[in-house]
Amino acid sequence: MNGLLVTTMLGLGLAIIVVRRRSVGIALLAAQSLALGILALDLASGRSGDYWVAAVLLGKAAVLPALLYLLIRRTPEARPVAAAAGPMVRLAAAGAVALCAAVLIPPLGLEAPHTEHTAVALVLVGVTIVIARRPILFQLLGLLVAENGLSLLAVSVPGGLSYVIELGALFDLALIVTVAAAFAQRIHSDLGTGDTELLRGLRD
Amino acid sequence: MTDLVPVLAAVVPTLPLVGMLLALLARTPRQANVVAVAMAVPTAAAGLLLAVISLARGGQPALRGQWYLIDGASGVLLAVIAVVGLCSVLVSPAYLRTSGRRWTTAARSRSLYYGALFLFWAALLAVPIAGNLAAAWLIVEATTAASALLVAFSGRRDALEAGWKYLLLTTLGLSVAFLGIIVLAIGQANAGHHNLHALDWRALQAAAHAMPAQPTLIAFVLLLAGLATKIGWAPVHNWLPDAHSEAPPPISALLSAALLPSVMLIAWRVKEILQPSVGASTTRAVFIAFGLTSMIVAVPFLWRSLPWKRLLAYSSVEHMGIIGLGIGFGTPLAIAGVVLHVVGHALAKALGFYATLPLLRIQPKAASHAPNAVAAQSPATATAMGVSLVALAGLPPSPLFLSELLILLGGLAAGYLLVSAIAVIALALGFLGLLHALVEGVVGDDRGHRRRRSREERPTIALTAILGTGMLACGLAGVLLLPGSGFVDSLARGAL
Repeated sequence: MNGLLVTTMLGLGLAIIVVRRRSVGIALLAAQSLALGILALDLASGRSGDYWVAAVLLGKAAVLPALLYLLIRRTPEARPVAAAAGPMVRLAAAGAVALCAAVLIPPLGLEAPHTEHTAVALVLVGVTIVIARRPILFQLLGLLVAENGLSLLAVSVPGGLSYVIELGALFDLALIVTVAAAFAQRIHSDLGTGDTELLRGLRD
Repeated sequence: MTDLVPVLAAVVPTLPLVGMLLALLARTPRQANVVAVAMAVPTAAAGLLLAVISLARGGQPALRGQWYLIDGASGVLLAVIAVVGLCSVLVSPAYLRTSGRRWTTAARSRSLYYGALFLFWAALLAVPIAGNLAAAWLIVEATTAASALLVAFSGRRDALEAGWKYLLLTTLGLSVAFLGIIVLAIGQANAGHHNLHALDWRALQAAAHAMPAQPTLIAFVLLLAGLATKIGWAPVHNWLPDAHSEAPPPISALLSAALLPSVMLIAWRVKEILQPSVGASTTRAVFIAFGLTSMIVAVPFLWRSLPWKRLLAYSSVEHMGIIGLGIGFGTPLAIAGVVLHVVGHALAKALGFYATLPLLRIQPKAASHAPNAVAAQSPATATAMGVSLVALAGLPPSPLFLSELLILLGGLAAGYLLVSAIAVIALALGFLGLLHALVEGVVGDDRGHRRRRSREERPTIALTAILGTGMLACGLAGVLLLPGSGFVDSLARGAL
C-alpha cells in the first residue's frame, strides 16, 4: 500500500504542472497531502510524536487547500493566465526531471529506494512547477509539492525524524504560505492578475 | 561571567520577541517608535554582553548547553547583529516619517513594520547560538517570512516583485538545504541516533568520522547549494540585488550586514563538521568555487552606473564571495581575515544603506538612478557615502583592506596561488568600480545644487562618526589582536 501511495503522490505532483484551472491544482495538492498524511500514519512507529506529525500532516491536507481556495476566491482571474509552454511540454520536462532523479540519485540510506527516488523527484518536480508556471498560485503550489517531497522523506527516516523538527518545519511552512498568500493578494490587487510575467521591472 | 550564559542565551532572542508583541500592541505611530527604541536598547545590550563573554574566552572551547552553542564565531556574529539591529531600529523613525505609500494602511503600518523587524532581529540573534543544525535551519527559514514582508513594505510594484522573488527563491533554496539535513538524519538514524539531539553540532561532530562517505557528500552538497541561495553566492544570488535595493534602508542594512553572514556561519559549521567524512579538499573546493564565482560575477555590476542601493547589493555579492574564499582557504591567517571582514563589512555596508535616507531626500531620483554630485548638495551625506564606499573598496585604512590582505596571504600560505591571483584581479576590478562610483556619484560636478542646512545633517554626521570610528577601531584591533591569536587558531581548527 505504501508503494502505491508514494507513486500516487508523484502522479499528483506531475498532474499539477499540467492543469490549467487553479481550483483543480489545489484539489490535486489536497489529494497529494492527504496521501502523505495517510502514509505518515501508516509509518508511525508507535511513538506519540509520530502520531502528532501524522495528525498535523492530515490537518495540513485540509487547512492549506482551504486557505488557497479562499485566496483564489479573493483573486478572481477574468481568464486563465497564458502559459509560456504547452501542457505536454511541461509534463515532459517534469517527467524528465523525475526520471533523472530516479537514475542519478545514489542511495541515501533508506530501506525503500522507491521512496527515496520519489521524494527527491517530488522536490525537483516542485522546482520545475515554480519555473514553468507563470500564475502566482501555481508557483506557490510548486513550493508545496517540493515540501511534500521533503515530508515524504522525513516520515520515512528509520525510527522517524524528530517530531520537533517536522512540526517546526510545518510551522515555518504555514508562516511562509500565509506571507505568500498576502503577497498574492497584494500583487493581484496591484496588477489585476496573478501573472508573475508582469513582475519583471527589476533588471540591470 | 560564564554563569550568565544560559540565562543570556535565552534572554537574547526573547527580548526582541517581547519587542515584537509590544510594537504590535502600539496604538499610535509615536507609541510604536517609543516601544521600538525602548526594547532595542536592552536587546542590543544583552546581545553585546553575551558576545563579550564569548569573545573574552579567547581560544577556549565553546560554551554548550542543551539548546545552545556559543563559540568565538557566535560572539563575532552576535556583536554585529546587536549593533546593526540597534542602529536599524534607531534610524527607522526617520525612514517611516518620509516613506510615502505602504503595504497596509498608515495607522497600522508602523506597528507591523516594527513587529516584523523585531521578529527578524530575534531570529537573527538566535542563529549564531543555535546548538543544533535543524534548529538553525528552522530559524533561518523563519527569517524569510518576516524579512519578505519587510522587503515589500513600501507596497510599490518593484518592491512586491523583489519580495516575492526573495520569498520564493530562498524558500526553494532552503528546501534543498533541508533535503541535505534529512539525508544526514537518515545516516544518524541508521547509526542508532534518532532524537532531535542527533543533529546537534556536537553529535554530528562526534559522528562525522563514522558517517558513510557518499550520502554525507550528497548531504554536504545539498546543504551548501541550498544555503548558498540565502547567503547570496553567485550563481544563485538573483534575489539579492532586488531585495536589498527595494527593502527599506534599515532592513537592507540588516539583510546585508547580519543575515548573509549568519547563514554563512551555518555553512561554515557544516563544512567543519562534515570535513572528516567528505574530505578537506572537497569542502574547501566548494567554498572557494562559490567565493571566486561571486567575486567575478559582481565585478561587471560594480562598474555600472547603478542606483546607490543596487550598487551596495552587488557589493554584498562580492563581499560574501571574499568571506567564502577565506573560509575555503581555512588557514589561521585567512580566518583572521574572515573575522575582520565580517565586522568591517557589516559596519561599512550598514552606513552605506543608512546614507540612503538623506540621499533620497536630496535626490529622490536616486531610488532608480545613480546618484549625482551629492557632495555639492549635502557634504554630510556625501561623507557617509564616501566613507562607506572607501571602506567597501578596501582602501587603507579600511579594515577591509587588512582583512582582504589577510585572506589572500592565507590563500598563499595554503598553496592556492592561482586562486589568490584571480581573487586579486577581481578585487582590483571591484575596487576600480567602486572608486568610479565615488568620483562620479558622490564627488561629481557641482551643478548649482542647493546645499542643505547643517542642522538637518546632524544625524548623518553622528552616524558616520560612530560607524567610521567603529571601523577604524575594528581595523586596529584586527592588526593587534587577531593574527596568531588563540581565538583565531581555535576557529581555524573548527572549534565548536
